[in-house]
Amino acid sequence: MRSIRLFLIASIVATLILFNFVAALQGYQSSMNEADILFDNQMLDLARLVSNLDVSNASSKDLRLGNDLAFQIWSGEQLLAASNNAPEQALQNFNPGFEYTNFDGYRWRTFTRFEAPLNRWVIVAERTDLRFVLAENVVLQSILPLLLGIPLVGLLIWVIVSHGLRPLQQLSSDLKNKGASDLSPILSADSRIELDQVIESINGFIQRLSTVMEREKRFSADAAHELRTPMSALKVQLHNLSKEIDANDESFLQLQQGVDRMQHLIEQLLSLYRATPEQFANNCKTLDLYKITQDQLADLYPNFEKKRQNIELIGDSSDIEADQFALETLLSNLLVNANRYTPEGGEIVVGIHDLGDEICLSVEDNGPGIPDSEKTRVFDRFYRVDSKDDSSRSPGCGLGLTIVSHIAELHHARVELKDSSFASGSAFCVYFKKKR
Amino acid sequence: MFLNAVVLVLREILEAALLISVLLVFTHLFQKSWDRSFVLRTSWVAYSIVVGCLGAAAYSHYTPQISEMFDYVGQEIFNASVHLISFILILVLVFFVPSNRLAQRVSRRSQVAALCMIGIVMFAIIREGSEIMQYVGGIASQAENFTPVMLGGFIGAGIGVSTGVLLFYGLINLSVSWSFRVSLILLCLIAGNMGSQAVLLLTQADWLPYTPIAWNTSAVLPENSIVGHLLYALIGYEATPSVLQVSIYLLGIILIIVSPLFGKAWPQQHSLAGEN
Repeated sequence: MRSIRLFLIASIVATLILFNFVAALQGYQSSMNEADILFDNQMLDLARLVSNLDVSNASSKDLRLGNDLAFQIWSGEQLLAASNNAPEQALQNFNPGFEYTNFDGYRWRTFTRFEAPLNRWVIVAERTDLRFVLAENVVLQSILPLLLGIPLVGLLIWVIVSHGLRPLQQLSSDLKNKGASDLSPILSADSRIELDQVIESINGFIQRLSTVMEREKRFSADAAHELRTPMSALKVQLHNLSKEIDANDESFLQLQQGVDRMQHLIEQLLSLYRATPEQFANNCKTLDLYKITQDQLADLYPNFEKKRQNIELIGDSSDIEADQFALETLLSNLLVNANRYTPEGGEIVVGIHDLGDEICLSVEDNGPGIPDSEKTRVFDRFYRVDSKDDSSRSPGCGLGLTIVSHIAELHHARVELKDSSFASGSAFCVYFKKKR
Repeated sequence: MFLNAVVLVLREILEAALLISVLLVFTHLFQKSWDRSFVLRTSWVAYSIVVGCLGAAAYSHYTPQISEMFDYVGQEIFNASVHLISFILILVLVFFVPSNRLAQRVSRRSQVAALCMIGIVMFAIIREGSEIMQYVGGIASQAENFTPVMLGGFIGAGIGVSTGVLLFYGLINLSVSWSFRVSLILLCLIAGNMGSQAVLLLTQADWLPYTPIAWNTSAVLPENSIVGHLLYALIGYEATPSVLQVSIYLLGIILIIVSPLFGKAWPQQHSLAGEN
């Protein structure tokens, strides 16, 4: 995965360094050339100055100069004056102009000049290494800030690029933080021209998705609602039929089972679509989870009794913020599920535990349990765990756990499927946020 | 001192930076078609550079002892070996790596490729790093040279690394197939350069016979000019190469051209574009 920020920072800093440093090199070379000319001009002045020296004095052959300079004044073959560091013989051939020579263990730049009125040859010399070091030190002082400034420039570029990319990061985090069911458009108050088109496209897409989902939801809800009336009529007809024919007839029993299953499916579909965020927000109030669980257990007790299952409720009263109808639906689905998948005479434990920040509602059974491979899929719509026990097939439709997870999501709660504390079986745990 | 430091450091850093950039482009290109072993993430470069730096420090520390080996040509032999190993690793890389997920034993071959790339970068850092350390260590120990050498070193390193970074981003922003082609061609030239350098060092150590000079372009393009240094880093330019050097250089290029990986670069139907 490539990062836009890294690309921008690295390539801008690299370009800057490349051009600055190449320019510094170029500057170094031209400054050194200029310094050379400057030093040559100084030698020229020195030669002019020296040419007028009074050479009548005996000490004029041993004049003290700095280590970096030397001179000689010749008249024909005779040395008239010289610095104390100059050799006995002529520093250079008597050709006017700049040259190089070696003496005293160093390389020297020389300038030879003929002073016609006085009939003198003046030769001045300067050590090349010292003049180079001097020139280089001056030039490098001008390059140093360039080098020291690079980290600062790099930091500035990093800050600027990061700041420039912030709207993109904001958009990315807005999209990331959007809940799965949140189909509201993205607000572009702090947007940039470059992102407007992107935000517009995303919002258009969300709008279309929302319309499609709304249509699907309405269709399912309407269909389920419309099916209720013929279903009730069908149940009445079935009841009447049971009086006319043998109620234990195999075909009749299957018909009855089929109708029951269809009625359950319709009820479940209605529950699923009734639990919408809008309705939920309006009906939310403080409820005692323990009390509601107790009521649900009482309602469903005949089912457990029919299968001679042992059901136990442990825990204390715990307040949560919830929609009563939705919470009842969640509980009834979990309990019906446990009842259905636990064999006759099995054990079911419903627990309500205070975990500090959360309230945990758990429903554990000692049924066959759910294989690990299917654990992630049980919350999918219309997904049913394969069971060899035929009695568990009816009248489930594979929507129960989808409804549970849907309602949990609305309550900002999370559902976890764990292994039960019995030797076998499953434990469904719903963690509700504690009411503060 | 300043210019010498710039040139030496730039030459060494540029050579390593170009190599690393090209290999990083390969990592980038093959991320999807090779097995996702940990070394195929970009972090492998960091590990190789760290190990390479340690190796370079050890090598420059033991240089006096190494030089005395093999009748005082130990350093030439060591450097030639490092060049040869890199040359062979590049050949292994282009001959045995998988170019798509359909190739057999992708996992094993990806690991071989990753190890080759780690080896190539590590040896490049040892080679170039030890030269810089010896030069800078030697010159900068004299107080008056410290500032010019350090400044020159930083400027040389800055130009070298920046060129590498821009080459990397330039290559990965090309279309996938062109990025692959240009990287392979650069890898060809780098391999030829490695082989040719190894021959030069072995000739200097008298392990290989002297062969006549193939050509002399020092009048047109001197080796010690700025362009000469750049071309040396990029394609191993030498103004007066021997016949044997040129032969090995060409052999390296030919071997890469006949490799299966190079074959994938040109026919349209095998281009990597479809895979990435």
